[in-house]
Amino acid sequence: MKVLVVDDFSTMRRIVKNLLRDLGFTNIQEADDGNTALPMLQRGGFDFVVTDWNMPGMQGIDLLKAIRADANLSHIPVLLITAEAKKQQIVMAAQAGVNGYIVKPFTASTLKNKIDRIFERLA
Amino acid sequence: MSIPMTGRISLEQAKSLVELLESDQQETADALFAEIQNPINSELFAEIGKLTRQLHDSLTNFHVNSRLNDLTMTDIPDAKERLNYVITRTEEAANKTMDAVEAIFPVVDTMAEQVKSVNPSWTKLMNNDLEVKEFKSLCLDIDILLKNTGKETRHIHDLMTDVLMAQDFQDLTGQVIRKVIELVIEVEESLINMLTAFGISAESTQEKALPKEGKSLLEGPIVNRQGRDDVVADQDDVDDLLSSLGF
Repeated sequence: MKVLVVDDFSTMRRIVKNLLRDLGFTNIQEADDGNTALPMLQRGGFDFVVTDWNMPGMQGIDLLKAIRADANLSHIPVLLITAEAKKQQIVMAAQAGVNGYIVKPFTASTLKNKIDRIFERLA
Repeated sequence: MSIPMTGRISLEQAKSLVELLESDQQETADALFAEIQNPINSELFAEIGKLTRQLHDSLTNFHVNSRLNDLTMTDIPDAKERLNYVITRTEEAANKTMDAVEAIFPVVDTMAEQVKSVNPSWTKLMNNDLEVKEFKSLCLDIDILLKNTGKETRHIHDLMTDVLMAQDFQDLTGQVIRKVIELVIEVEESLINMLTAFGISAESTQEKALPKEGKSLLEGPIVNRQGRDDVVADQDDVDDLLSSLGF
């Protein structure tokens, strides 16, 4: 399974990559915002997107909307991992079709639970 | 002759003025002109006087607030540098820590593998169930395991010391951030003084500023969670909210 991790902070990408590797995801690629991520996704092959919300360039929420609007990508599950914690934002993400929402700071077990949940629902 | 006064000057006054000028009486003409101007001038002078005083007071206040100039010219750029230093140091610390942890993972995994491979024979040995040939092989495996474990635990110990040392960023960035907080307080005070100098009450500008939709929708980490009902408290709150939406 090929995963794309999108975050503007390289340290956060590195943390998420390590956690994902621990969960058995070995094919992981990185992008630093939506503008970099979208063309990578459009080139194909990705099965799962983990993205931050607040990034320079294209925001995570807009990346999510772009993924849902693209017939080739709309099936890809998207997990938001973000410091944004306003109820309004969580509702907004849900309406945009997010598959999971994790608020930072988060734990390894939260990530595992949410990912398990996402793939259980898709199975 | 009496003509009603409709303007600033009467025909009579104008005629006298012309007479005086024609008869070369410049000083008396000037005096008459000043007398004619007087009602206008006194108002005007009063107004200019008031404005001058205000300007003077404002400039004096600005002078007192020349610290504000230092703040914008020196202290704020300095604060930007300080905050950039915080970003750099925390990033370095995070990477140093992750370098060490990523180096420890495979070492621990290798040790776990070796223990796992020795385990079946070891269990047999403990149950007096091991053949001599197997025993020899077990001895060799255990020899490797011991040597390897001895070497790798030292390696892990060094890496853990690196993790420990990487935490010194907390002290350094803490000091820097404290300085920036002091600066922010000083800027705030200077700005309030300036508002006071212009007669604007600082209180009237202190409306509760809650983030609005749009650009300020993004807030980043919530640092003032207490007393806010527009944010979630933790992941459980997020999960509850999502499940209430049918997730």
